[in-house]
Amino acid sequence: MTSTSITRRQLLAATAASALGLGLTRPVRAAGGETPIKIALITSLSGPFAALGESMRAGLELLILESGGKMGGRRVTLLVEDDQGKPDEAVRKVRKLLSQDKVDILCGVISAAVALAIRDIVTDAKALTFISIAAANGLAREAASPYIFRPTKTSWMLGHTGALWTYDKIAKEGGLTLGSDYAAGREYVGDFMTTYRQQGGKLGQQLWTPLGTADFAPIVMNLAALSPAFVYAFFPGADAVRFLQQVRDFKLQDKIRVIGPGALFDQEDVLPAAGDAGMGGINTYHQSPGAPASAEFAALYQKVRNRLPGEASTSAYATGQVIRAGIEAVAGDIAQKDKLKERLLSAPVSTALGPMRFDSRNNQAILDIYVNEVRRGQDGKPFNTVVHTYPAIQDPGPKA
Amino acid sequence: MSYYLVQTLNALSFSVLLMLTGLGLSLVLSLMNFVNLTHGSFFLLGGYVAIHWIGAGAPWWLAFPAAFVIAGTVGLVLDRFPFGRFYPRTHLMQVLLTYGLSVIFADLMRWGFGADTMSLPTPELLRGVVFVAGLPFPIYRLFIIASGGALAFGLWYAIDCTLWGAAIRACVIDRGIVETLGLNTRRIFTVGLVIAAGLGGLGGALGAGMLSAYPGLDEEVLLLALLVVVVGGLGSFGGTVLSALLLGFVTTFSRAWLPEFANFLSLGIMAAVLVIWPSGLVVRKMRQV
Repeated sequence: MTSTSITRRQLLAATAASALGLGLTRPVRAAGGETPIKIALITSLSGPFAALGESMRAGLELLILESGGKMGGRRVTLLVEDDQGKPDEAVRKVRKLLSQDKVDILCGVISAAVALAIRDIVTDAKALTFISIAAANGLAREAASPYIFRPTKTSWMLGHTGALWTYDKIAKEGGLTLGSDYAAGREYVGDFMTTYRQQGGKLGQQLWTPLGTADFAPIVMNLAALSPAFVYAFFPGADAVRFLQQVRDFKLQDKIRVIGPGALFDQEDVLPAAGDAGMGGINTYHQSPGAPASAEFAALYQKVRNRLPGEASTSAYATGQVIRAGIEAVAGDIAQKDKLKERLLSAPVSTALGPMRFDSRNNQAILDIYVNEVRRGQDGKPFNTVVHTYPAIQDPGPKA
Repeated sequence: MSYYLVQTLNALSFSVLLMLTGLGLSLVLSLMNFVNLTHGSFFLLGGYVAIHWIGAGAPWWLAFPAAFVIAGTVGLVLDRFPFGRFYPRTHLMQVLLTYGLSVIFADLMRWGFGADTMSLPTPELLRGVVFVAGLPFPIYRLFIIASGGALAFGLWYAIDCTLWGAAIRACVIDRGIVETLGLNTRRIFTVGLVIAAGLGGLGGALGAGMLSAYPGLDEEVLLLALLVVVVGGLGSFGGTVLSALLLGFVTTFSRAWLPEFANFLSLGIMAAVLVIWPSGLVVRKMRQV
């Protein structure tokens, strides 16, 4: 009987042995490059940004697949967490990823509110984080963090270049702005106005409409009555689709020139649904499926998902490229954070968004900004065609 | 002058859309005394059905009956289980059940139809504009106004002027007495729910041309529908129609004049209406169950 029952002493001994065993095997594995590097993607798989979230995941998965599942000689595992577009949910998920899953690198983040909410947590934990979409200017300025890299645009980079192009090529006065009344809309339109006025341009009315506006017809009628030289507009996702379609429904598409940050005419998120209603639109964006830098990725993505990439998928792919460059510089030894950061800050990374340098003041990407015009592509469908490139646009950074 | 005329037409088309979302909900909520928070899901389902129907190249005018039939069928299944067991329960239990289901449906639809925004490939015939005193107005919106008006009239006639409608109304007031008259009240409620679900789907199909379809639309629509029904007053079709018109006109004109405060103004006015007439615009005497 005694031979089968486990005594307390035996149990203790076994526990101690297994603990010792674990402690011993771990460093051995790491030296052999066997423990995978854990990368966590924080994105929205439900909630208002669900469509962007799916594209982001596809973009990053594509890059990992293309790298043969390895970066710097080590295997990479990807963990995807859904933030539902809510800051509180994201905070909970990030805490879990850091304490429970012990991830090495965090990336993703669509909403600016989410990015600002997790900023202090990742900074305190000294966890390297790469923000792929959230554009809030603050993250490149007062809320910049030494552990957060931003391989994407800031609102200013798009609003500023939009104003330069509008002033040079479209009209020096007689335009008005129309924005979605929340943080991102206020930033894009605000930065557009500042630069446009600095150039010497004169702007008419500023119109704001709540996020989630169901019927734009009353506003579209006002636009028809005012017949402005141009409208600088910003709406995200479904609002953008509705706005563009209702402008077309009222036969004003040819009469009113619509300019905006790229999200208004996003190749993946807006144009497939808006269809011909997007034709003729001009936008400034750090992404274009027609840019030479993204040609390779666009072809690959089209093969896998049977559609052209927009910002979300391209940004996630480019984020992966940046992470890969960093990991390769330390040959997979992710503990050397300073060396990894130094690599990213010292030399440009070539990404699907274009050549990417990082500003050493705030770890913000310095990017080429494309001026896209929506024209017919080779298949006859609306396509963001690059008509001009503003090279190396740098956010004013902490001093602004 | 023509500007105001077109804005009035805009308000009218938005009102009809609100009315379409409100009618089905009003039928179950006020006549059957059942809080159905899955109504927004029926609306979104109808939208997706119409988009895929027309996208597949089937005759466009059949898309709307198809949306009605498919949403109605889902309603029928839900009525068998689990709604049927909850008709006699308290409102709180009904809210718990139907809200939970609406979350499940939202996930199912995101899984089945994808998370992308989709828009109705409007048929050629409805794509043009008519000129109203020199200003363009889309034909599709006229189509929405006409079909919504016809539907509301038909439903009002069915509920208020036919024996079937009388039976449904009687069921709400006293189910026991109706049973003693030899009518199967369970079956009457089933018919009511199927029609309501079908109307939700039909509203979604018509609305897809204006609102497009995307995950999250179900909740937005449900909120508007609840607002329309509650402000209109429980238990009356006239009230629903009246409050849809009020909300549509207030929203449209506040968007035209003060777009920044559009939500504040329209919701503020609706709240004021409820403060002045707590039981809604049109009140019908009925026994609280």
